[in-house]
Amino acid sequence: MNAVEIKNLSKNFGAKQAVCGLDMTVPQGAIYGFIGENGSGKSTTEKMICGLIPTSGGSIKLYGKNYTDPSVRAKLGVLIEAPGCFPGLTVWDNMMLQAANLRIENAEKEVIKLLKTVRMEGAAGNKYKNCSLGMKQRVGIAMALLGNPALLVLDEPLNGLDADGMRIMRRVFRDVIKDGQRSIIVSSHLLGELQKVATHYGIIRHGKMIVEMSAEELDASCRTYVALRAEDMLRTKLLLGSKYSRTEEDEAGYLRVYDITTPEEVATYLYENGICVTELKTDKIGLEEYYIDLMKGGR
Amino acid sequence: MENKIVFEKLGFGIRLKSMLKVDFRRMFKSRVFYILIAAALLMPILMTVMMTMMDGTVSVDPQTGKESIMQGPENTWQNIGTLPGGETMGGMDVFAMCNINMMFMAVAVFVCLFISDDFRSGYAKNLFTVRAKKSEYVVSKTLAGIVTGAFMLTAYFAGSVLGGAISGLSFEIGGGFGIVNVIMCLLAKIFLMPVFVSIFTLISVAAKQKAWLALCGSFGGGMLLFMTVGLITPLTSTVINVLLCAAGGALFAFGLGAASNTVLKKTSLV
Repeated sequence: MNAVEIKNLSKNFGAKQAVCGLDMTVPQGAIYGFIGENGSGKSTTEKMICGLIPTSGGSIKLYGKNYTDPSVRAKLGVLIEAPGCFPGLTVWDNMMLQAANLRIENAEKEVIKLLKTVRMEGAAGNKYKNCSLGMKQRVGIAMALLGNPALLVLDEPLNGLDADGMRIMRRVFRDVIKDGQRSIIVSSHLLGELQKVATHYGIIRHGKMIVEMSAEELDASCRTYVALRAEDMLRTKLLLGSKYSRTEEDEAGYLRVYDITTPEEVATYLYENGICVTELKTDKIGLEEYYIDLMKGGR
Repeated sequence: MENKIVFEKLGFGIRLKSMLKVDFRRMFKSRVFYILIAAALLMPILMTVMMTMMDGTVSVDPQTGKESIMQGPENTWQNIGTLPGGETMGGMDVFAMCNINMMFMAVAVFVCLFISDDFRSGYAKNLFTVRAKKSEYVVSKTLAGIVTGAFMLTAYFAGSVLGGAISGLSFEIGGGFGIVNVIMCLLAKIFLMPVFVSIFTLISVAAKQKAWLALCGSFGGGMLLFMTVGLITPLTSTVINVLLCAAGGALFAFGLGAASNTVLKKTSLV
């Protein structure tokens, strides 16, 4: 059974179609990286999954049940846009309110445990409005984790987090899915961070799902390249450009030759043309480059 | 983390109980709640004492030179309703206009801010994600509003008694009516509170985070019924008044509660 199964989902805001005919499948035990440009329909889709905005068409199933089923909705954890906390209440009071909302037994124990998990136990007495952006985000994650949810829906949860916060989140995500039943949908523009944890990806554009794949499939479809530095970079670029169909200089100053698996071939070619290669390595493009390629229509 | 995911089916009663727990916890932590109750308690004391002190004061209209004498309260219960034989809307009688019935409008402040806070803070996202049914939200908010209204009415009643005692006013009602009728009058007003609270709840869930819109709409909507409160719940109320108000309150709460539920179902909650 899949954690989320969406078929032909659509949402119109007046004449504007925010989501049109979206299909999406999130397997159980997956960390689903939900990626798309600003305004592509990610948040709208997530809000529809959580029942926060009515759909215009299509179906959403969560763990085989309709998304309007109260029993399945009671097992959702959410962090969309910003944590839903009352600014005048303390972090502790906000957590306890949500615990009461979720009918959690031993609420105090669970709240303490979760605040410790996100390293916010020392700030429990702080008023929420006095917390920094990163602290608020940690509270939001802790709140989403309350009640041991079956499905976590997190919209930009990594925003404002420091390096320690990012590390904690990665650990939390892995902990959540380790039983193979719980799943996480996480949308983020920090694709490098997302790639470290995601087991599945869905890329959305103009309200339509354009690609859904597992991390393994992404890995297999990512282009390999040879990156090099040489003494005369300008001449090297001209030489490689005349022989290989796709060469380009990356942000770090390396020349990349795509779809070549043997660096020796490139090195030999340059050596024969009197160019001394100073650095040479093979690599694969990451999620970010794959995504940019895809958006440019390169795939 | 536990291993098996259990999707529990919960009845309305259990869902409502947890929602009430959230709302009542918030209510008792809310500053607005205490400010309104304090205002409800102090207002009649100040009004009665000041009006008693000004009783008999002669004022002269600077344009016409006409003299007028300020008339203070004669009876403690003038803060609650018009005495038997008196006019309901007695001209310049400040007590006929500004009495306990103001609490029916003042409770709008609590209901509108209480509901709009859910949407402004984003708490509605947490709430409605885990609550597919909206009925318990509407019932809980209406109950919180009614309880606040009841507290305010009781505080105003207590303030009136204190004000009357401080100013040495009469506690006699006359016309063969007694304290039982005053209690019935208060009970009738408390049972009438759901009528107003359910109107304010409906307007607030429609306005969502726009507290100003909810407040304007609520004051406007409440005004339509405000004038009838004095007629339905006179100082000489009996059990019949209480029952009629209870029936009216229940009907309004059910009808407008269903409308609020539909609004929440059909509109965006963020």
